Amino acid sequence: MIPATLLTNALLVGAILFCLGLVGILTRRNLIVMFLSAELMLQGVSVTLVAWSRYHGDWGGQVLVVFVLTVAACEAAVALVLVLQAFARTGRLDAAAWQSLREDNLPRVIDRELPAGDGVAPTWPRLSPAGIRPESDASQSLERDHL
Amino acid sequence: MDPISTTSVAPSGMLLAGSVVALASSLWLLLPKSSDTVTSRRIGVLLGGVALAGFAATGRSLGCVGEDGVFLTVAAVAVVSGLATIVTRSPVYAAIWFAMTLAGVSGVLLVLGAQFLGVATIVVYAGAILVMFLFVLMLAQPSGMASYDRVSNEPMLAAAAGAVLLGLLTLSIGRLSAAEPAACCRMPSRADALAGATTADPITIEAGAPGGADEVNEVARLGAELFGRHLFAVEVAGVLLLVALVGGIAVVSRGEATEADHRREV
Repeated sequence: MIPATLLTNALLVGAILFCLGLVGILTRRNLIVMFLSAELMLQGVSVTLVAWSRYHGDWGGQVLVVFVLTVAACEAAVALVLVLQAFARTGRLDAAAWQSLREDNLPRVIDRELPAGDGVAPTWPRLSPAGIRPESDASQSLERDHL
Repeated sequence: MDPISTTSVAPSGMLLAGSVVALASSLWLLLPKSSDTVTSRRIGVLLGGVALAGFAATGRSLGCVGEDGVFLTVAAVAVVSGLATIVTRSPVYAAIWFAMTLAGVSGVLLVLGAQFLGVATIVVYAGAILVMFLFVLMLAQPSGMASYDRVSNEPMLAAAAGAVLLGLLTLSIGRLSAAEPAACCRMPSRADALAGATTADPITIEAGAPGGADEVNEVARLGAELFGRHLFAVEVAGVLLLVALVGGIAVVSRGEATEADHRREV
């Protein structure tokens, strides 16, 4: 159990880090700095999660932060590979180099009206009925009542 | 609960508005623009300090900010380095500042009592992810400072949006601390319920409340919770890591493979 001022302190720090990351990802144009800003937002969320986890005496927030770390590592690996490929193509780390969806030597295509359909109503797949409803765990319901 | 926090709403509102304006102008002055001068950046640094002090004062008048010196120190390190991360021109320096932010965040987590996460943040983020960022920067950085590092997109709008969002979040956190006595009344009953459960049910002993009497076994209890109730999620995370590994290698080696195929065909 932590005192309430420590909780709100940590929430403020998390909010500040999140907003700084938001401003960074909105304004910066370098792909790598944009990723750093996204990681800054993740850090802010992690601080918030841990603070609430400590305040409520529940491990869920800290477990969630462990998974945030995992996903951040995966994201950074895949994203940096893509950034390297993008840099190999354009020679720049500028996000604006990838803002057009066509090649430079192709004409622009602008759809002025919706393309006409073939007049046949689409058939959508239907989900089969699921199994029986699982029984609730008594030890878990004890904890959820207090949240 | 401090009774002042509920009565002094009006002056803290003025203070908050002032802090939001100061933060927005500071971010606008500090973000890379084509019209930057040394003087404007100095004014930006000054305004940023004023804004952060203003937010701390607002939090104090709303009853949010305590007096824990260690916490305030590490939080200041995290926040100032975070600001430097997004405003510095060179991406390499941005990465280094981000490492400082991680050190501050790790300190915050340690003060909050999350020992494992504090250490894991340093090891995983600063040790692995950040080094990966630096490697990519070394591989991909063109010589000299690029134009896209010196001019940013819509700094005024983004700075205003971020500052306003932070002001709203600060207000809601202040409301939270004003409504906090109710939560305080509820917490002991919950702790009692958990304590009763831990003595009665051997399964829930592993998932005891953090910060209870047994602070020493903190990491062991987090591990028990992680590999007990969240075991399936751990398996999924392992699969995710494997997929990211295979995907990264596949994307990198695809270009080389096609070149080799091309040579073979020729």
